[in-house]
Amino acid sequence: MDFWLLFISLIRAGLKMAVPLLMTALGELFAERAGVINIGLEGMMLAGAFGGMAGSYFTGSPWIGLLVGVGAGLLFAALFSVMSVGLGADQVVTGAAINLMALGLTGVLYRRIFGVTGAALSVQTFAPVGLPGFQDIPVLGEIVSGHTALLYIGFALVPVATWVLFSTSLGLTIRSVGEYPRAADTAGLAVSRVRHACVLASGVLAGAAGSYLSLAHSNTFVEGMSAGRGFIALAIVIFGRWRPAGAMWAALLFGLANAVQFQFQAIGSAIPYQFFLMLPYVLTLLVLVLFAGRARPPAALARAYER
Amino acid sequence: MQKWSVLGLLVLTICFGISCSQSKTASSSSFKVALLSPGPVSDAGWNASAYEGLQRIKAELGAEVSQVETKTPAEFEQGFRDYASQGYRLVFGHGFEFQDAAATVSKDFPNTVFITTSGTTVRPNVAPIVFEIEQATYLLGMMAARMSKTGKAGAVGGVQIPSVKSSFDAFEAGAKAVNPNCRVIVSYIGNWEDVGAAKEAALALIDQRVDFIFHNADAAGLGVFQAVQERKGVYAFGSNKDQNGIAPDVILASAALSVPGAFVTVAKQVKEGTFKAQPMHLGMKEGAVSLVINPKLESKIPPDVRTSIEETKQKILAGTLQVPKGFY
Repeated sequence: MDFWLLFISLIRAGLKMAVPLLMTALGELFAERAGVINIGLEGMMLAGAFGGMAGSYFTGSPWIGLLVGVGAGLLFAALFSVMSVGLGADQVVTGAAINLMALGLTGVLYRRIFGVTGAALSVQTFAPVGLPGFQDIPVLGEIVSGHTALLYIGFALVPVATWVLFSTSLGLTIRSVGEYPRAADTAGLAVSRVRHACVLASGVLAGAAGSYLSLAHSNTFVEGMSAGRGFIALAIVIFGRWRPAGAMWAALLFGLANAVQFQFQAIGSAIPYQFFLMLPYVLTLLVLVLFAGRARPPAALARAYER
Repeated sequence: MQKWSVLGLLVLTICFGISCSQSKTASSSSFKVALLSPGPVSDAGWNASAYEGLQRIKAELGAEVSQVETKTPAEFEQGFRDYASQGYRLVFGHGFEFQDAAATVSKDFPNTVFITTSGTTVRPNVAPIVFEIEQATYLLGMMAARMSKTGKAGAVGGVQIPSVKSSFDAFEAGAKAVNPNCRVIVSYIGNWEDVGAAKEAALALIDQRVDFIFHNADAAGLGVFQAVQERKGVYAFGSNKDQNGIAPDVILASAALSVPGAFVTVAKQVKEGTFKAQPMHLGMKEGAVSLVINPKLESKIPPDVRTSIEETKQKILAGTLQVPKGFY
């Protein structure tokens, strides 16, 4: 196979696999910066994947599907927020409960609405769009152009998140709530309100990432199809040192390692496949050990705040 | 105030106790059958066929049925134990991976029959139903090798359990039988649900010029069909169930099992007390395994390929051709 074609295909696959992780991680970043660890990402992604598929199935529009998916993620995030921020319940336990609930609920609804035979490959999905100006550049254009709109939105969110978090007073508020809620409260900031908003934001993005899975990357809903991505996103936040750009590089590394891994398997070798499946995780761990340096989580992370 | 709440609690407990004991007495007389599936039963494949079997047992034998999804060995054992202790007479563990748990739990519940779909483990109340899907995947391999323009065929698997590996080995043997130079490349994704990963695995195979892809990845296999839909000149094969209708433009044929029929047969034996614990090998001869060609794409298969496949099928039916099969 032509080297360049293979190279292009590899990077494209990496980008496609990085985006859902990136979107989810960006949302989680906001929640964690405000002091809430949202373990329920996996469930919120699953809700988003189901909502997206169902929305597109009934309306024929992937954009409405996305909206429904985001709404589904938001709903679970609201539940999580009420429990963990509002009532001060343990964040990890509540998040784990959200995951179980989402897996069960989406499964039941899927079978109720679409029957046991499912609705595979039958919904309207996001079409690839060409990037004007990039389309005609050799190699680079072939890599970055022709993806779904949702993928571009995912990457466009990185500078937006960086700006909000580090250049606006809202960002300062969020970070102070995550570092020292008592001081923030004394200064007149509404700690709970900020935390609620950040958790909801993480639900919105996890829902969008789920919709990406069912409406852009693949074209169906499968029970449990998030397949651990919510947990990888948690790791990516830490790996990216609680910074949007860092999260992007981490997601890209993970996505690319996955693409490389499948390409290795496809060459066909006698090496047990488990080694290849391990590759993205080992690589991520190695980079973390070698280059991460010192990273400090928000000081009030995972601690409920009581006035 | 407190006195009332205590009284209320007491009444509740008694009511609950009565309702529990009632449901027990009512159910012990009825025939109860359960299914442990390794993945969602909405996968339009392996698990869906088992669920269909369970529904047929309910309809044809009037059984009370229940199903639960189990992922880990600990859950397999817990699932078997829960159903057996609730008086279920028959519990299916749908896959090779359920054997150890079935053997362990069977000792404590001699009155319950545990059936694993594929496997070798036999105990007084444990036996496997083994579908010889290899007979059909061998034919698929032949078809791929005869029709491939690049001389490369691929397969995407969920987890490399012996039954899945064996189905791929037979696929490769079939391919090599008609074209010794044909390469068969196998890729695994490590689970049964990650559609996106299965799709990328298939795309990577297509990048390496594979033009026929078989899958044995249950729900995730849907991703393989999507990958094939995206690229031109590539065909896919369905597994475990007639999947041709899922993507009728790209699925050339399926290696189908009639799981429901086998489930009903076993359930009937258990209900009537004629069940004997021995491995049940079901293949093409028993009508339990078949090669289903997609009628919409039938014209794409050259006539000489079709005749040679038909001839090989007759040899398998007559027993003159033994399709290679893993030990499980």
